[in-house]
Amino acid sequence: MARVAGALQQSLSLEHNDSDFSSDTSDTSFDSDDTKNPRQKKAKAVSKSFQKIKPQSGFVPDAVSKIFNGTDFSYLKLRPDHVSRPIWIYEAVDKIIIILESFSPLAEQAQDFLITIAEPVSRPSHVHEYRITLHSLYAAVSVGLETEDIIVVLNRFSKVPIADSIINFIRAATKSIGKVKLVLKHNRYFVESPQADILRMLLQDPIIGKLKIDSKDSIKNGDSEQSQNASTTTNGQNNNPSSSNDPNERLLNSVVGETKDAGNGIEDEQDDDNDDDFDKVHSFEIAVESVEDVKRRCLDIDYPVLEEYDFRNDSINANLDIGLKASTKVRPYQEKSLSKMFGNGRARSGIIVLPCGAGKTLVGITAACTIKKSVVVLCTSSVSAVQWRDQFLQWCTIHPDNVSVFTSDSKEIFKGDAGLVVSTYSMVANTRNRSHQSQKVMDFLTSREWGFIILDEVHVVPAEMFRRVITTIKAHAKLGLTATLVREDNKIGDLNFLIGPKLYEANWMDLAQKGHIAKVQCAEVWCPMTSEFYQEYLRQNARKKMLLYVMNPTKFQACQFLIHYHEKRGDKIIVFSDNVYALREYALKLEKHFICGDTPQHERLDILKNFQLNENVNTIFLSKVGDTSIDLPEATCLIQISSHYGSRRQEAQRLGRILRAKRRNDEGFNAFFYSLVSKDTQEMYYSTKRQAFLVDQGYAFKVITHLNGMESLPNLAYSSAKERRELLQDILLKNEELANLEEGDDADDVIGRSANAAKKRRNKAKRTAGSLASHAGGEDMAYVEHGRNRNKELREHSSLMQKLYYKK
Amino acid sequence: MVRAIKGSLIKCDPSIKALIVDIDSKRHDIIIEELDDTNLLVSTDKIQFIKAELERILSKNAYNAMEAEEAEKQK
Amino acid sequence: MSSYLFKDTVNEYLENLPYSMKSKLFKSPATCLAIYRLLPNLAKFYIMSMVFHEKPVNSRIWDVWVKDSDQGKKLEVEGLRRMKSLNLITEKNNYLVLDEHFRESFRNALVGNDSHHAFGVPCATDENNKTSIDFLDEFATKKWESILHFMVGTELDELPSVGVLSLLKHSGLMEINGDITKRNLTSVNITKEGFSFLLQDVNAQIWTLLLEYLKIAETLNMDSVDVLNFIFMLGSLELGKDYSLEALSETQIKMLEDLRDYGLVYQRKASSKRFYPTRLATTLTSDSTTLRSVSSAMNKAIRSAKQDNEKDVKEEEAQVDFVSGTIIVETNFKLYCYATSPLQIAILNLFVHLKSRFSNLVTGQITRESIQRALKSGIASDQIIAYLEVNAHPQMKKLAQAALNKKIEFESVNGMKASHLSLRNLEIVPSNIVDQIKLWQLELDRIQAFGGYLFKDFKGEVEYKGLLNYAEEIGVLLYKDNANRKFFVTDEGRQQLIDYASRRTKRQKKS
Repeated sequence: MARVAGALQQSLSLEHNDSDFSSDTSDTSFDSDDTKNPRQKKAKAVSKSFQKIKPQSGFVPDAVSKIFNGTDFSYLKLRPDHVSRPIWIYEAVDKIIIILESFSPLAEQAQDFLITIAEPVSRPSHVHEYRITLHSLYAAVSVGLETEDIIVVLNRFSKVPIADSIINFIRAATKSIGKVKLVLKHNRYFVESPQADILRMLLQDPIIGKLKIDSKDSIKNGDSEQSQNASTTTNGQNNNPSSSNDPNERLLNSVVGETKDAGNGIEDEQDDDNDDDFDKVHSFEIAVESVEDVKRRCLDIDYPVLEEYDFRNDSINANLDIGLKASTKVRPYQEKSLSKMFGNGRARSGIIVLPCGAGKTLVGITAACTIKKSVVVLCTSSVSAVQWRDQFLQWCTIHPDNVSVFTSDSKEIFKGDAGLVVSTYSMVANTRNRSHQSQKVMDFLTSREWGFIILDEVHVVPAEMFRRVITTIKAHAKLGLTATLVREDNKIGDLNFLIGPKLYEANWMDLAQKGHIAKVQCAEVWCPMTSEFYQEYLRQNARKKMLLYVMNPTKFQACQFLIHYHEKRGDKIIVFSDNVYALREYALKLEKHFICGDTPQHERLDILKNFQLNENVNTIFLSKVGDTSIDLPEATCLIQISSHYGSRRQEAQRLGRILRAKRRNDEGFNAFFYSLVSKDTQEMYYSTKRQAFLVDQGYAFKVITHLNGMESLPNLAYSSAKERRELLQDILLKNEELANLEEGDDADDVIGRSANAAKKRRNKAKRTAGSLASHAGGEDMAYVEHGRNRNKELREHSSLMQKLYYKK
Repeated sequence: MVRAIKGSLIKCDPSIKALIVDIDSKRHDIIIEELDDTNLLVSTDKIQFIKAELERILSKNAYNAMEAEEAEKQK
Repeated sequence: MSSYLFKDTVNEYLENLPYSMKSKLFKSPATCLAIYRLLPNLAKFYIMSMVFHEKPVNSRIWDVWVKDSDQGKKLEVEGLRRMKSLNLITEKNNYLVLDEHFRESFRNALVGNDSHHAFGVPCATDENNKTSIDFLDEFATKKWESILHFMVGTELDELPSVGVLSLLKHSGLMEINGDITKRNLTSVNITKEGFSFLLQDVNAQIWTLLLEYLKIAETLNMDSVDVLNFIFMLGSLELGKDYSLEALSETQIKMLEDLRDYGLVYQRKASSKRFYPTRLATTLTSDSTTLRSVSSAMNKAIRSAKQDNEKDVKEEEAQVDFVSGTIIVETNFKLYCYATSPLQIAILNLFVHLKSRFSNLVTGQITRESIQRALKSGIASDQIIAYLEVNAHPQMKKLAQAALNKKIEFESVNGMKASHLSLRNLEIVPSNIVDQIKLWQLELDRIQAFGGYLFKDFKGEVEYKGLLNYAEEIGVLLYKDNANRKFFVTDEGRQQLIDYASRRTKRQKKS
């Protein structure tokens, strides 16, 4: 099977594959035989056409044209009113780039439009950059924009004429989008199209044709039972009635000035039925197991399916009595994101990207209140699950009886016809060792049709698990929530495929300006290595190198100093470390509490409570568990002493911990984010790489080369040469496995593992026989049925793992 | 007998010194004498080489967004 | 640091001339007028009141005209100083006397007859095809820009003339190797001074070159007074008019060829009997306001972004309108410049990795490579930073001002002591960019190397200390290690030490 979004990925520019640490592509079972994939071939052809572009005749290169080597577009004549237009647009090699003057009069409207049709590349203070890709156009059409409208509006905003190649690209890319829909009706899947010839073509397709199944009441060409069932109507027409006659205005309105109350949507869907010219729906049924194959094949032949849910006309699935409480305030950007989802009165599946702390939960809840059908929420941990449940109860009117939580601690099924189930990915994806009660709940989940599924923190979930989850639970509308679409492993294509296109992405700086998230001062503190440490560093292998630059005494001192400084200011401080060994060493020496995978649940809660309420506990140390599974009370200062091999997502996510700081609306308030790096080591490389995402959102990382007053700090650790030497000896003696990431420790948070780690475990499992292998595999999904004893058990497993695999 | 050894005095920070020592360890023709943490006596004709080597090694620690972009383009 | 204003450079030059030369210069009305124009307003006023008044004047009289304030005092002192250093006036017992030659020539300039053809001799007959002002402007721009383009490293169809090449080399603005006379160059590199030169506005640049030219002229047996007079005369000629070679001296005729190369004058052919001054020439000594009409390439007004802190005596500059800046630098190191001139693009290319170009915008990125490339070719990090600051787009300034206002407000609301004045500077270029550029410079300077000798293996403390102290005394010591009795001295220092040591042993033997 061809790599689904492989072709689409060629146009993605956001991630760089870190060849040293790329995640295992065998994680997914997509095979990577690119040449068979027509989609990829098309993308290649499209990109080749760019390279042949020659400037128009009459172009006289001048003395400096050579510098630009093909990107000299000075031959494009500026439009007379260019000053009032906000963008430039050009294509180079295989990228279409849009440059936006954010201080231009039309900038705000342009921004709304651009975020809908393009990917943001960088959005600092004055000039933003966006990229139009196949993906982004797919997303644009999915939310209802039409090809020609896109072109017209782009032209309206552009200071320069748009090259034909760009226009052709837009037309070619969007030609076939929106013509095929996938509909879930009565627990059965139907492929629909308004055009009979398209459907015929699909049926004649070697792959899709075979997957058609006969069913008694399958709907063949001809009448649709539109008003009766949950089928969607036509191609992604934007049915937004608008008073304006100007197509530009209408388009802008549809994109920009959406209905305020996303909950109401648009009335009068019935109009469509009355329209004689209205295309009838043609469809055929496929088996649920074939859904993914069909979707992929459709994508390959350039007819990607759209999934829309006409919830208002779904009379089969029971309604859920749920609505936002009057006291709940939805912020403008949250509304905007929802308007993309519900723009034409139906629910589109896709992904909404909001920075951490900006209220993703409320977005999900509001969407659920709009659809008013049974909803499933999947989270990354049981702690998050509980939080989601609490927030549902807090912000909307759902009755507690209609809410159930499905985690290791709780196996509830709600009463009544419709309700909310909150669970975790691992609970649902796990296929082994279910208890009887657990199986009951799973049966409940898999046997019915759900109106809506919310997928929290989608970026974290490995594709394999994801796919399992999505195919297991049948939901009409799917909403993925995340803070970052950046994944080092380029799997955004998979997400687009499995959930839907990106519906909305917020502007971090904008949100910070308006006080929705905290303003943050970011800094990189350069800690020179002591000479002995550095000499050893030069000699050792990669893993020991890492231990050395993390345990650099100067870095330790810097950390100590910053903690001291910020505690004095009254800040609440979190210190992050991926490396557990370092975490323990630092925390114990500085006498601060720490939480890592091994820490039992009750202890975690205890520490967190103290952090929140006890004025004597102002600093805690966290390992990667802090990334997802713990709801941290607000912190105002973050110090990072060790971070994993350059993941941009993690950097952004950790920042999120302080973005939600409540004091953010205080005048002059700043949260602080420090990344401590050892100078002249590989750590600097990874640090800069990690920051790239945040830097493009507009955050500036100040470099601090010297901390004033550090040397005179009382009780400064490692201040004597002797202490430093001892530390060095200590480290050199340690097993280099200590440099590994935290693995296998997180009981309920399986998501936190990198695919690499998963691979390592699998590899190791291969070396041993039989039951041990299953242990190793089982570890991954070791869904803890054992409740309170889980940590103990897990720790046993861990030590077993340690003994078997890590002993030298 | 007092000796006067001809060469170049290099003043630098400890990390650089360690790097130069490391470079020398494979060839033994750079450093004449190690003086202290931040001072070295090296062969004058090797100064350019030292500078070039240092640059080469230290550049590896600098993440270059443009290079990464270029590499991406090649794919 | 010398300011970017041409007036300073010219004044400096004039002030340093020997009196004998100055008095020769004063014989030319055009020169006197030019010198007059370069004076600050108050001095101009003083001169005027003395030109038609033969007797010495009591300096107290002018106190009336100045406000009794610090600023007023400053103006007065500065005015007097300038006039004195130019030898325009001499002071004796509080009485000021205007130089005779100057008085006479200046009077002539103002009201007298032009018998000396002081202001150029217009041609009696018209040329068949009169040269238009537009043509002159284009010609001047092209010539001038080609020099700058050459400096910046743009590929050109033709190298500048031998005259220009020698000038660039001898002035230290460029490092040029090879046979200049044959225009066979092996290597060409801009220097730090060259980059500073590029930052100056057009007028200052021309004067810089002209003054260099003057220095060379002396070695070429050209009469410097003639040269200067001609330059000043050019400043008073009228654009669009053609002038005859009649009243020019031999030196001045020789100059024409070079002036053609710089785009200051135009002649249809080398043997032409007439010449046209271009705008670059006619604006040599005028106030800068007229420069704005010159084509954008020439218009690199680097007027102050430093208005706040500069209590400038030359208040006429304050009246000058400056062209808006064009460069936006973002915190993510991306750069956007509303550049229209290839020259500005070429300059940016020196230290920015340029990516795309539209007719009114270029985009690029400041990277470690692009900056270090510039640093290695001799440009200093603070020059780069200054260039970015000075040419900053109004949006950048707006943002910086807003941030500063917020800071001030925050401080006052919270009863904090107002930040020290130096911290009140506008941070126009984002501080992380400024810092990083400096850090990249530091990266290149990780080691300092000094050639010399290491002294070791001393017999004892006395021997060691003896030489060590001497070395320290004569300032050749670069390193010492008392514990191990070693020290390092410079190459020159070694010989001196040896000499000293042998003197000492001789003395010891004697005793």
